[in-house]
Amino acid sequence: MFAQLLFAMSALLTVGGAIAVVVTKNIMHSCIFLLACLIGVAGLYATLGADFVAVTQIMVYVGGIVILMLFAVMLTGGKDFVSRAQNLLGLAPSMGNKWTFSIAILVSIVFLLTNISLIGNIVRSHAPKTFGNDYPSTVSQIGHLLVKDHVLAFELSSVLLLGALVGAAIIARPRKQ
Amino acid sequence: MNQTVVSYLSQYEFYDIILEAFGNNEGLLAFVIYSLFAVIIVALCATIGGLGTYAERKISADIQQRLGPNRVGPYGILQFLADGVKMMTKEDVMPFTADKMLFYLAPCLALVGVFATLAVLPWSSGFIMADMNVGIFYLIAISSLVGVSVFLGGYASNSKWSMLGGMRGASQIISYEIPVTISILAIVLLAGGMSFGAIVGHQKGLPTNWFIFHNPFAFVAFFVYFIGALAETNRAPFDLPEAESELVSGYHTEYTGMRFGFFALAEYIEVFVVCGVAAALFLGGSNLPFDISFDILPIQLVEVVIFMTKTLLLYYVVIWIRWTFPRLRVDQLMSICWKYLTPIAIVNLCGCAIWLVVFNGRSFAQIVFGGHH
Repeated sequence: MFAQLLFAMSALLTVGGAIAVVVTKNIMHSCIFLLACLIGVAGLYATLGADFVAVTQIMVYVGGIVILMLFAVMLTGGKDFVSRAQNLLGLAPSMGNKWTFSIAILVSIVFLLTNISLIGNIVRSHAPKTFGNDYPSTVSQIGHLLVKDHVLAFELSSVLLLGALVGAAIIARPRKQ
Repeated sequence: MNQTVVSYLSQYEFYDIILEAFGNNEGLLAFVIYSLFAVIIVALCATIGGLGTYAERKISADIQQRLGPNRVGPYGILQFLADGVKMMTKEDVMPFTADKMLFYLAPCLALVGVFATLAVLPWSSGFIMADMNVGIFYLIAISSLVGVSVFLGGYASNSKWSMLGGMRGASQIISYEIPVTISILAIVLLAGGMSFGAIVGHQKGLPTNWFIFHNPFAFVAFFVYFIGALAETNRAPFDLPEAESELVSGYHTEYTGMRFGFFALAEYIEVFVVCGVAAALFLGGSNLPFDISFDILPIQLVEVVIFMTKTLLLYYVVIWIRWTFPRLRVDQLMSICWKYLTPIAIVNLCGCAIWLVVFNGRSFAQIVFGGHH
């Protein structure tokens, strides 16, 4: 019952947050709804028993990305970004024209059908797992995979991040006259 | 394996009796036990937060040779209750141009972020709400909600003071997360696990087994952690987000009544939590001295007292520091974090890893005095 309750709450938070991000007119509010949506996704990971991934989701998105977004929005205007534009269904803020909208609808239908066929196979072939009071940890498994089997990819991604950091420092550095 | 307070209690006979009373519905009983523990811990921590304000005023009075609060109750100890009543009965003022939704949301987020960390705080070997495998990682992650709330509180008030305080707060919290996390990582390395059960369980016995005395690097890591934790909880000498001489009251300038109370309570409970984490990671946590172990329920209460003693001693040090040191400047704050604490923390992490390899995981005391691993 716990798992179902957690799933219902997380799903509601994810879907509700995602809809609110698109519908709201204030970009700061969008950021906060995005936060709710991302926490909901962390809850979904937790219901799947992926504790490490769930916590990493919170760590990366709540602690990093959302604060970064808030900073960026605020330093570039913040509240002045309230959109009054309305077209097509009366939703705002709406970007693009009817061509982009129709392409987006087409793409989302294809995406939905692909997902249904993928998930349908999984649901048919596997019985749903049930978790009791204790479930196996994923921390050691992820650790072993990261530093044994996939150590090259792991190290390369850290080099990539270092490059981004150095690049940002070079761009932000005051130039000598 | 993940341990919880329910799985701990289920090893006793009375659990089966209660389970029968619940019609053998384990899920319902687990829900009831979790709720009961959550209510107890939140009430306890709210009281600790309230008493924290009293302790702060009383200790600062001692340091400055004043009397401090002494009217309400014996030695003024009921002052925090009087303050609470005052907060709740005050008028709830909101600036006309404030962002209503975010203004209401920010204090709640602060309190949610702090209370969520209590789920993994190891009160004793058995009384820990959820001893998750990702325990300490979860604590670091969820407490970053406080940073978001500080920022939002500053933004939503639509006031210059609040805005500056909120920006300072958010940048300070995300900067100091780095040395704190790397210091914690060094201890995770020594314990070989991120769950509080594993970390505290490794420090059984004499104080020489505490991780702070494990090796010289861990000793330095404790101080890096403690300084970083002071900055993360916006405590003096790092209380720039609410620097009253420059910013009136920083990010909560425009907040009145219980909304301000939420921010204050969240700050005091967060100080308690970071002190508790320091006690659990470095100072042996709730272990009984000399490796005594009786597996009966009252011993758990003794362990809770030991944990609380260590935590509240550190709490005293935090208050002591606040009333002793002057506030830093913003540039000093950032240079301390990035030029000193972060490199030191990285050296500590590497040092701990090398120590583990060279001395085969033995601690300093075990090398000097001999002894088994």
